[in-house]
Amino acid sequence: MAKYTEEELLQLKPTEDVSANFDVDGFKTMIAEVAEHHEIADLFHQKARRRSSHHHAVRPKIKAHKPKITKDEEGWCTSTRKASVVAVGDDGEPSPAFVAQETLRVKPNNKNIASSRPADTRDIVTDKPTMTFNAFAALESDEEDQV
Amino acid sequence: MHRQKVRALISLLPPHHCVIIINMSVEEVTQKTQGLSVSENQEGQTVLSNSKDFNLKHPLNSKWTLWYTKPPVGENESWSDLLRPVTSFTTVEEFWAIQQSIPRPRELPLKSDYHLFRDDIRPEWEDEANSKGGKWSFQFKSARAPHIDDLWLRALLAVIGESIDEDDSEINGVVVNVRRSGYKIGLWTKSVDQEPLSKVGAKFKAVLQLEESDKLEFFAHSSANDKNARPTLVL
Repeated sequence: MAKYTEEELLQLKPTEDVSANFDVDGFKTMIAEVAEHHEIADLFHQKARRRSSHHHAVRPKIKAHKPKITKDEEGWCTSTRKASVVAVGDDGEPSPAFVAQETLRVKPNNKNIASSRPADTRDIVTDKPTMTFNAFAALESDEEDQV
Repeated sequence: MHRQKVRALISLLPPHHCVIIINMSVEEVTQKTQGLSVSENQEGQTVLSNSKDFNLKHPLNSKWTLWYTKPPVGENESWSDLLRPVTSFTTVEEFWAIQQSIPRPRELPLKSDYHLFRDDIRPEWEDEANSKGGKWSFQFKSARAPHIDDLWLRALLAVIGESIDEDDSEINGVVVNVRRSGYKIGLWTKSVDQEPLSKVGAKFKAVLQLEESDKLEFFAHSSANDKNARPTLVL
């Protein structure tokens, strides 16, 4: 039985590349094609993946600046908000801020308003006041007898 | 002139032949080497000066076949389509020629396998030589993966050199699986006899340079379909 230790086999390792007894290039090409296919598939899965929320770790800062509330001697509270940019006039004094006048036309959203139409058309009949005169009913009426 | 001819003939012979010649007389050497000739072109060339033309090969105990499992690319590919024999070899020199030309395990795409099996044994549980056996296996997690090429080479050398085996050839083959979770190296045996398997497992654990705390597990192929199967041996 031919036996070789690891050291003996390593000693027999050639220092130069020796050609193998099969189509090495074909084998390597096949492996390269598989690797390329996997890369394309991974890329496709990454792009096709539904966008996930990115706010798990870092949440967006939604923090409104609180107005500064000052309380005078009489107990009245005044809220003041510091303007980020203050316009300065020619004399160095802050110029009065220009407030644009805008008229907003608000269109009501009919979807959120309850409709005046009844849901059931039979309700129209029942709600309608009836002032019809029935002659036969009048003949049988006891009103005159009582009078 | 006569001495020069003997020296030239000795330089052409492999080292172990030279030992025989040194113990012989000049007349005996002359008789033995009558059929040999030294041409002008080969004069001065030795094994050391020209290793390429050195035809001496070291035979292995068995013929070994390298198989490759190609990762599936399409849906219609079956296991038999993916498992392919790459090449066979019978000598140490052929082994090194193949080993130096093929990609290392770390260069293989995921879901690839290399199988090195004795003779014509197919690397499948269903093969007659494997059906009553099992495998020693250990999974190397990604953290230890950088050494996987060296460990795979050590496993190959231990198997083809038969240094891992006892007198009876218990080893059928050796396999490396390339997976996302890591690399698994398995040693396939022809039986599930505990006594020889324990010796083989202990050597295999040393070959893979596993620590004492690492658990090398043996599973019989008969329990391969059972996902909850427990290892029959643990080292």
